[in-house]
Amino acid sequence: MSKSSNAYNAGIMQKTGKAFADEYFAEDNQVVHESHEVVLVLKKSDELNTVVEEILQGSHKADNPTLVVEDRAGFWWLKATGKIEIDCVEVSELLGKHYSVYDLLVDVSSTIGRAYTLGETFTITSELMGLDVKLKDLAAA
Amino acid sequence: MAISTATKAATDALAANPAPVSVGAQEVHRWMQSFTWDFDKNRTKYSTKYKMANDTKEQFKLIAKEYARMESVKDERQFGSLQDVLTRVDAANRVHPKWNESMKVISNFLEVGEYNAIAATGMLWDSATAPEQKNGYLGQVLDEIRHTNQCAYINYYFAKQGQDAAGHNDARRTRAIGPLWKGMKRVFSDGFISGDAVECSINLQLVGEACFTNPLIVAVTEWASANGDEMTPTVFLSIETDELRHMANGYQTVVSIANDEAASKYLNTDLNNAFWTQQKYFTPVLGMMFEYGSHFKVEPWVKTWNRWVYEDWGGIWIGRLGKYGVESPRSLRDAKKDAYWAHHDLFLIAYALWPTGFFRLSLPTQEEAEWYEANYPGWYDMYGKVYDEWRARGCEDPSSGFLPIQWFIENNHPIYIDRVSQVPFCPSYCKGESTLRVLEFNGKKHSFSDQWGERMWLSEPERYECQNIFEQYEGRELSDVIAEGFGVRSDGKTLISQPHTNKDGKLWTLDDIKRINCVFSDPLKAL
Repeated sequence: MSKSSNAYNAGIMQKTGKAFADEYFAEDNQVVHESHEVVLVLKKSDELNTVVEEILQGSHKADNPTLVVEDRAGFWWLKATGKIEIDCVEVSELLGKHYSVYDLLVDVSSTIGRAYTLGETFTITSELMGLDVKLKDLAAA
Repeated sequence: MAISTATKAATDALAANPAPVSVGAQEVHRWMQSFTWDFDKNRTKYSTKYKMANDTKEQFKLIAKEYARMESVKDERQFGSLQDVLTRVDAANRVHPKWNESMKVISNFLEVGEYNAIAATGMLWDSATAPEQKNGYLGQVLDEIRHTNQCAYINYYFAKQGQDAAGHNDARRTRAIGPLWKGMKRVFSDGFISGDAVECSINLQLVGEACFTNPLIVAVTEWASANGDEMTPTVFLSIETDELRHMANGYQTVVSIANDEAASKYLNTDLNNAFWTQQKYFTPVLGMMFEYGSHFKVEPWVKTWNRWVYEDWGGIWIGRLGKYGVESPRSLRDAKKDAYWAHHDLFLIAYALWPTGFFRLSLPTQEEAEWYEANYPGWYDMYGKVYDEWRARGCEDPSSGFLPIQWFIENNHPIYIDRVSQVPFCPSYCKGESTLRVLEFNGKKHSFSDQWGERMWLSEPERYECQNIFEQYEGRELSDVIAEGFGVRSDGKTLISQPHTNKDGKLWTLDDIKRINCVFSDPLKAL
């Protein structure tokens, strides 16, 4: 089990019974606290298993040390600080077939954060797209 | 022959912006942007007190062709799994009987939410003025149609392939008598489609979808898998693949009004009302379904809620918007208390009112009682000992002559219905955030369980006039009401609902209920 602060059962979630209740009902926890994390839920499939195992936890693992991936039965649960990016050109090369960003979206089940596509890249970010940062359009050829 | 202005405009635009010949979907999307469709002076039937900006984006750059291709692949995968391997391995009969009952509630109720979301997003399409924002909403209309079918299909599949079909196949006909239906319609229907258009978006997209679909449609698949159900993950995770665009639509609704003066006046109140409206129902009902409707527990419901609702939705969506004036919902403290206790309160009442339902309930076993006490210290003294008493009085046995509702009457614990949320509550025997408040309007008494609903009612009391079952059936005998409200199976006498899930246990009939002579009374008349 991951010891990262981004893990599925990190922090208060490791506590049980009265210890959990004490922290859960603590005065400081009666308002929301700003978080710069993002969460991604990926439905398990042939392609998404490859994305998770070969890219996010494989060739690109060092790119984002905050990324945690957990197996939650029917889906992969991912949490990271800042952002998670998936380049579908790279996925295509790995799968040996054309795989567009819309093919990826077939199995992207949920997002907590601002998710968007640009070209063949899928991004989920903690940035406030459209407020702090302009949402980019595809550049003219 | 002269061509129309519209045809000429299209011809001129095509001349200036030739269609791309290498048709990458995002190139087509960029090309379509160049048409600069102008909806700035859009006239809508569905007004809002906010001014929605005209340059709002759709974050996934969807075009119709890619949308259709994407959704057809989702359906092929889903129906392929269901009709091939899952049927071949007899998956529906491998589901734990308790979870089979939970899915009668979860999928039938979600279907109603999806159906109303069709109308809600159609309304938002009509209200918005930004072309890309309209495109996002339009995609969502189509998604919601797909989801309505998917939810219906899950119940159809369970009914056809699995165990105890009653309730999977005919739940909706019990909607007049089941005390959970009206609250569900308050969150899933009224909250999504009535009133200010942007307020509906906040209810549906920013709170309903961005917050509560994660426990309702994602976390539920963990519970399903743990209890032997592989159909629900197949369908629900496919549903959720559309929800991320809906969450983005909700976020873009907020982006579109962020610079409007009205946002500083109204947004926090609308957000708080939407949060309370949605949590008031989802929190206890989902917690009850997960914990009391399962045999194998994944984790305490309060932890699921803490992760998806408080930490992630609260911190990542609402917390990040703090610098734009969005505040932590003022009702959060009470919602957190509900997340810890309200599902236990609700199950106590739901079990007491079991004959009016369309699903079977079962009392916690000794092993489960120990799990509850370990995770919710104080559970046994409040709830566990009551279940022990009910079990000792034979509540599962049709010949016992005992319905748990009698315990509430004998101990002077009246059950009320909150007028705004339509959720039943027992103020003298609960640990969640419920206290009795009674107000009169137009010669009629109204009960409320909390200050947040009371405030909403005070601002527009005409909106919340729905009769509850105690008012509707006052003076009527219970078995007559059940028969009239279609609460029986195809033999015309055995109740759909039962107080146990033991397949060898005796089933209650209308005659068993009639012998007890239980008569509805309105507790507000006694005040």
